[in-house]
Amino acid sequence: MTFAACALAVARKDLVSEWRSREVLPALAQFVLLALVVTLFAFDLDSASAGRIAPGVVWLVVLFAGLVAFGRAFAAEKEQASLEALLMTPAGPVAVFAGKALAAAAILLACEAVLVPGVSVFLGVSLPAPAIAAIALATLGMAALGCLFSALAVQTRARELLLPVLALPLWIPFVVYGAAALTGRGPQALANLLALDILVVVVAGLAARFVLDE
Amino acid sequence: MAAGERVAVVGGNGAGKTTLLRLLATVARPDSGELRLFGLDAARRRAELRPRIGWLAHQPGLYPALTALENLEFFCTLHGLPRSRAGECLALLGVAADTRRPAAELSRGRQQRLALARSLLHDPELWVLDEPDSSLDAEGRQLLSRLAGDRTLVIATHDRELAATLGARLVELREGRLVDRESVRVLK
Repeated sequence: MTFAACALAVARKDLVSEWRSREVLPALAQFVLLALVVTLFAFDLDSASAGRIAPGVVWLVVLFAGLVAFGRAFAAEKEQASLEALLMTPAGPVAVFAGKALAAAAILLACEAVLVPGVSVFLGVSLPAPAIAAIALATLGMAALGCLFSALAVQTRARELLLPVLALPLWIPFVVYGAAALTGRGPQALANLLALDILVVVVAGLAARFVLDE
Repeated sequence: MAAGERVAVVGGNGAGKTTLLRLLATVARPDSGELRLFGLDAARRRAELRPRIGWLAHQPGLYPALTALENLEFFCTLHGLPRSRAGECLALLGVAADTRRPAAELSRGRQQRLALARSLLHDPELWVLDEPDSSLDAEGRQLLSRLAGDRTLVIATHDRELAATLGARLVELREGRLVDRESVRVLK
């Protein structure tokens, strides 16, 4: 059984479970829409200020939605007491981690598919293609880090507190490069995000073995 | 333990039964001492040992939104087994009628049978079971003995009758220490 096949099987299992239980996705979609509605009423927006504020709102929503999506990745396994059975298979902890990170990233991408048109509808701002690409690239790296910390946090009592404390500071570079993608330095910012993704995925993959199975 | 031997670990709550079984199943590492399984150091060669071990924790650990068949097929994929093995194991455990039902809708006893089926998918040589009898009916308990077959079996239980049914040697733990080793026949 190859690494990729095991990781895809884990990702598929998580996505099928989410599709049937509808535990995370509807709540996150609702959060996205509510955040946009609150923004609409909280700021005195005109066409000029909306354009300046919208990218910041987008990144804040992505960060907080990410905390929920990635936090559930391992919390569900912990609640179902199923993680041990997973780790007893020859798939190995890194393939399990990769699969769960893929599924969590897909769930966040689905939320972003609500967010991007939502920004256009509620704030009247159409995000340019580099911004959308930056959000998608940042999601991948954030998923790798977020799921790693989620795996770590579920082993503690204060997991809801630990995940934001660990993940948010290390997600800042994704926001920095992501925001830069909107300021006319799009290609360079996207290249930086890609490099950051590769670095984070490799490091998280190496660390996952120790976090999950030691 | 000799190959094919059956051992029942008994003892009160907090005696250390689950800890001992988790060590044997390689899901926990010993803080000190040495554990050898099949002649291999269990702490260092877990990846080699795990395909030879079937582990059932105290909780079934199933995916509630997946059907009984999907639960097993998923683990077949991770074990590199054909999916048809899932159906075979469901039939073996007497839960073939529940194939299309989500695990969440099964009774606790049926969930336990499904979890037992999962632990047997890869036909392990060593079967480690943490109180599987807590939600099994009389038929399910008889089934345990049949399924154990020639495997080496270590089972934690509060039920000495079950140990007798299995023909298992009793090992009693108290506060993490072995205090009694008796043949179940002597105890009877």
